[in-house]
Amino acid sequence: MTKPAEVTRSTTGGIGESPLRPDGALKVRGEFAYSSDLWHEDMVWGVTLRSPHPHARIRSVDLTEALRVPGVHAVLTHQDVPGTNRYGLEHADQPVLAVDLVRYHGEPVALVAADHPETARRAMKRIKVDYEVLTPVSDAEHAVHGDGPRLHRDGNVVRHVPIRRGDQNATAPVVVHGVYEVGMQDQAFLGPESGLAVPAEDGGVDLFVATQWLHVDQRQICYALGLPADKVRLTLAGVGGAFGGREDLSIQVHACLLARHTGKPVKMVYNREESFYGHVHRHPAKLYYEHGATEDGRLVYVRSRIYLDGGAYASSTPAVVANAATLGFGPYNVDNVTMDCWGVYTNNPPCGAMRGFGAVQAGFAYESQMDKLAAALGMDPVEVRVRNAMSEGSTMPTGQVLDSAAPVAELLRLVRDRPMPAERGELDLRAMPGGVSNTTHGEGVVRGVGYAVGVKNICFSEGFDDYSTARLRLEVLGGEPAATIHTAAAEVGQGLVTIEQQIVRTELGIQQVTVHPADTTVGNGGSTSASRQTYVTGGAVKAACEAVREKLLKLAVTRFGEPRANLTPAEIVSVLGTEVIEETVEWRHRPTTALDPETGQGFAHVQYGFAAHRAVVDVDVELGLVKVVELACAQDVGKALNPQAVVGQIHGGSVQGLGLAVMEEIQVTEGKVRNPSFTDYLIPTILDTPPMPVDVLELADPHAPYGLRGVGEPPTISSTPAVVAAIRAATGLALTRVPVRPEHLTLEEPR
Amino acid sequence: MRLNVTVNGEPRQAEDVWPGESLLYVLRERLGLPGSKNACEQGECGSCTVYLDGTPVCACLVAAGQAEGREVRTVEGLAEGEALDRVQQSFVDAGAVQCGFCTPGLVVAAHDLLARVPEPTDPEIREALAGNLCRCTGYEKILDAVRLAARR
Amino acid sequence: MREYRFERPGTVTEAVRRSGSDTAYLAGGTTLVDLMKLEVMTPGRVLDINRLPLRGLDATGGGLRIGALERMTDVAADPRVRLGYPMLSQALELSASGQLRNMASIGGNLLQRTRCGYFRDVSMPCNKRQPGSGCPAIRGENRMHAVLGTSDSCVATHPSDLAVALAALDARVQLQGRDGVRTVNLCDFYLLPADTPHLEHDLRPGELVTGVIVPRLDWAQRSIYLKIRDRQSYEFALSSAAVAIRREGDTIVEARVAVGGMGTRPWRLPAVERALAGRPATSNTYAAAATATVDGTRPLRHNAFKPELMQRTLIRALLELEQTR
Repeated sequence: MTKPAEVTRSTTGGIGESPLRPDGALKVRGEFAYSSDLWHEDMVWGVTLRSPHPHARIRSVDLTEALRVPGVHAVLTHQDVPGTNRYGLEHADQPVLAVDLVRYHGEPVALVAADHPETARRAMKRIKVDYEVLTPVSDAEHAVHGDGPRLHRDGNVVRHVPIRRGDQNATAPVVVHGVYEVGMQDQAFLGPESGLAVPAEDGGVDLFVATQWLHVDQRQICYALGLPADKVRLTLAGVGGAFGGREDLSIQVHACLLARHTGKPVKMVYNREESFYGHVHRHPAKLYYEHGATEDGRLVYVRSRIYLDGGAYASSTPAVVANAATLGFGPYNVDNVTMDCWGVYTNNPPCGAMRGFGAVQAGFAYESQMDKLAAALGMDPVEVRVRNAMSEGSTMPTGQVLDSAAPVAELLRLVRDRPMPAERGELDLRAMPGGVSNTTHGEGVVRGVGYAVGVKNICFSEGFDDYSTARLRLEVLGGEPAATIHTAAAEVGQGLVTIEQQIVRTELGIQQVTVHPADTTVGNGGSTSASRQTYVTGGAVKAACEAVREKLLKLAVTRFGEPRANLTPAEIVSVLGTEVIEETVEWRHRPTTALDPETGQGFAHVQYGFAAHRAVVDVDVELGLVKVVELACAQDVGKALNPQAVVGQIHGGSVQGLGLAVMEEIQVTEGKVRNPSFTDYLIPTILDTPPMPVDVLELADPHAPYGLRGVGEPPTISSTPAVVAAIRAATGLALTRVPVRPEHLTLEEPR
Repeated sequence: MRLNVTVNGEPRQAEDVWPGESLLYVLRERLGLPGSKNACEQGECGSCTVYLDGTPVCACLVAAGQAEGREVRTVEGLAEGEALDRVQQSFVDAGAVQCGFCTPGLVVAAHDLLARVPEPTDPEIREALAGNLCRCTGYEKILDAVRLAARR
Repeated sequence: MREYRFERPGTVTEAVRRSGSDTAYLAGGTTLVDLMKLEVMTPGRVLDINRLPLRGLDATGGGLRIGALERMTDVAADPRVRLGYPMLSQALELSASGQLRNMASIGGNLLQRTRCGYFRDVSMPCNKRQPGSGCPAIRGENRMHAVLGTSDSCVATHPSDLAVALAALDARVQLQGRDGVRTVNLCDFYLLPADTPHLEHDLRPGELVTGVIVPRLDWAQRSIYLKIRDRQSYEFALSSAAVAIRREGDTIVEARVAVGGMGTRPWRLPAVERALAGRPATSNTYAAAATATVDGTRPLRHNAFKPELMQRTLIRALLELEQTR
């Protein structure tokens, strides 16, 4: 168990407390600079021309009319890409600007820069593109097994991950099958894709952008612009949420291209419709499962086939496939497993990272299966889960042994044993399904309760060199010790900046800690994804503190003539004087290994996070309306570095799961996105969300800094299936697809 | 056209405003007040909520010309110098701010609610804030913040 | 958004005179500004009518006369509406978020355009936007589309909640145009698409909606507007019902019934009204009467659930109405 060094300092605002976030005052004043708020004198506006077709050949592009529009500074196509016209997180398979083929509805084809965004848009509409429309490939399963057109050079399968463990021919007396579907969810972060690119005198460019990973953006920009890293300098602008949707490039290369071409600062801001085309979505999935169990409910085998529709380009599909596969059986002990998970290319919108990353889709399926199994056995749904629950020492389907707490049973018991919310009675009518809409006084309303538990990997996997870098500077300012912590890790709302301050306060015993803006002048901070930043960047910050403390204590020996274990703030001032200590540390978690390509075995994940939910719903079975009455969660976070922020993350993840259960879906018809707006892509409003009581367990992971576990994603895994299970309990309907709609609940005869 | 509008108590002028610009655009890009946000610009999220003649509206759907001669109050006009308005302070204290993009619109909507209904019930809070989307918090701590502000 | 000129006519007469095929009236802006951003509407001149004397809510005589520029919030909150015609207040409050209700005018609400995704996407053909170009909704994504009043040219649902309630109340629309003033029944004001879906209203060139008259109906005190949608709030109707009932003891004497989310215009249901009149106020009566809604429905591939939902919505509205007051 890693603990902060024992100190006799009186630190406040350190780890374990919930100090106010340092950017909070600016945000409530409306003075926090988000990427869409940036302004530069002399700036021009950039816009992107996108393909209206999901699959088409580009015969010609005529820019003449567009170039004639007064106020236009540049109109660019792929020919203006000076470096390599390709980018991508795992495979560089996506053109910066399309050449002769477009593969998805919304694929970028050209760019315009002009004095005013309206001018730019009008000029953009005058670009004439001659398309030869082709038939889109829309079915993922068919793309794997059928003989349709090959969308990329190496075929349509981006990745296939098999898992073979135990007896592949095991049989069992009780068998349940299921086929499940998960619709395409969108991250729907509120801050639009945006940024400002400023051309520099050295021929390079300074880019201010909202993103999840500065260094991977930098790498891709360098590749496309043909520039070295020291000429492409990124600073993180304020991020309005991410949830995986900013891991791929949006405006980065485009804005830099326009800036270098025009010699002017270029601002780009997507509107909401464009945002829906401009980022990747969650992979829609089709999942086939077969669970075999003994008469007393012990799992004997699980067999599964999962098809993830990756859309036009690879993005992070390979990692999503590995996640869905390796986490695809849930947190349950089962000796015999068979898994085949495919991620495929189609002409549907590209899919990639979204909070939960493959484990969400699998979680809906395996938890639905566990309820089906419980019903077949006549067992209580929580009991059947508890009976098979993993714990420390259990073996994952990949052969990896869980070497820290895995309180699956305990989490389930916590949500089960929590007192139920009040029955409907003389409640406010607004608490009914349909709420304010006058739909019911209680007639036709049935209450249902559902449970689920899930598992998510934390940090990057399969042998990826997952690290972060922290630079810590300690000096005396205004008579007090003052630290500045500098990382390239992206704060996207989750509260990383607060955590960084808290760690430094605790480790050094000082109060004054400033977080330097994240930029590429310090080493790679890794991605703000996989729930990894508190772990890895937190680990780097902690390690930098240790390095600084070591130097400080050495100075103290000189000063005091004897070694000290720790120093008070006054002593630090006296020791440092006018000296500055600065240390930069690169920090890694313990390594993981690749998966065996045939069996899927390997030490793939460095940590796991577990969460369970209980959902209580009232369903108006006549009208098909669902009111989630309560969504309770229990989650093990190892160590809550900031308890208030931890609960906030659990609430947010739970509601995203609720959204997937009952309302969120990008509708794609023959490759075209049909609902790119907040009226037609529904996310929960405050009238849709229930009270969400949270139980936080802190069972330390001895391998992680402070024993912490990543928090952000586990609540997205079990929330969706718990809500659907509750609706099933109320209606008796099978409900094998999410999101569930009113007409799914009324068409069929209720129980 | 030239636009004359009183913003946060000060008479302001914007030159060369295109008729097609919204009040939101004018505030953000011409008057140096980017506090009101542009999450959707279609009246579907509430992130651009401002007071127009004392009533909360979506600035993204107000044509610039419609604002001529009127009074606008934005999130930037709620604090009294250094001191945050009680709604603002409560949002920070209650942990209701994560990415914060929804925060300005919610702060204005909550400010308006508490001015009209000093002790709102939970259903009243939810109804009043139903026009403001948040993606990070799940709204729980936003409710805490409004309850906290009402007590202050 | 296309370039346009912003004008502010000083009187109604001047507004009418200035209007033409290339103009649009601007009131609350929640429809016009939205559709101009999408370039679905592209007037060359926008006439801001917000300062014209088209306000006021007058209840002398027991009915209502509502000025076209009255804001939705204010009308909904007015005690004469709340108490006398609760279905109107409810329809207004259930329409949209508080912010939008504070901006939007009564006239503008009645004239709002359909939410059909193809209509709103100028890269798609649409007979309403471009006569003769086709209707992709008929064979495309049509879950939110209409099952009543449709044609081979158009299946777009009318989105206004207020209009449904006004239809049930036999409201009339006051117009002022180049030929003077006239009044049209709201139900006739909205046109069926037939093969001219681009013609939505009985509006002569330049005519301005100046107000709405709700005839006196004392038993409208017993009325409800009920709305079914995909989330608890802030969303257009999958299905809605405006119902008013006059009872004597346990017998329904008379009823007013209109539905939304179902038709290409607000849909009054005289067959249901007749099926309720003179019957005992029981759930059997409601269920039997509701079956009259299905006549003439033409479901599409994705909205086949709508006729059934319409019946259930109606039954529920009648049941809920029993419970209020």
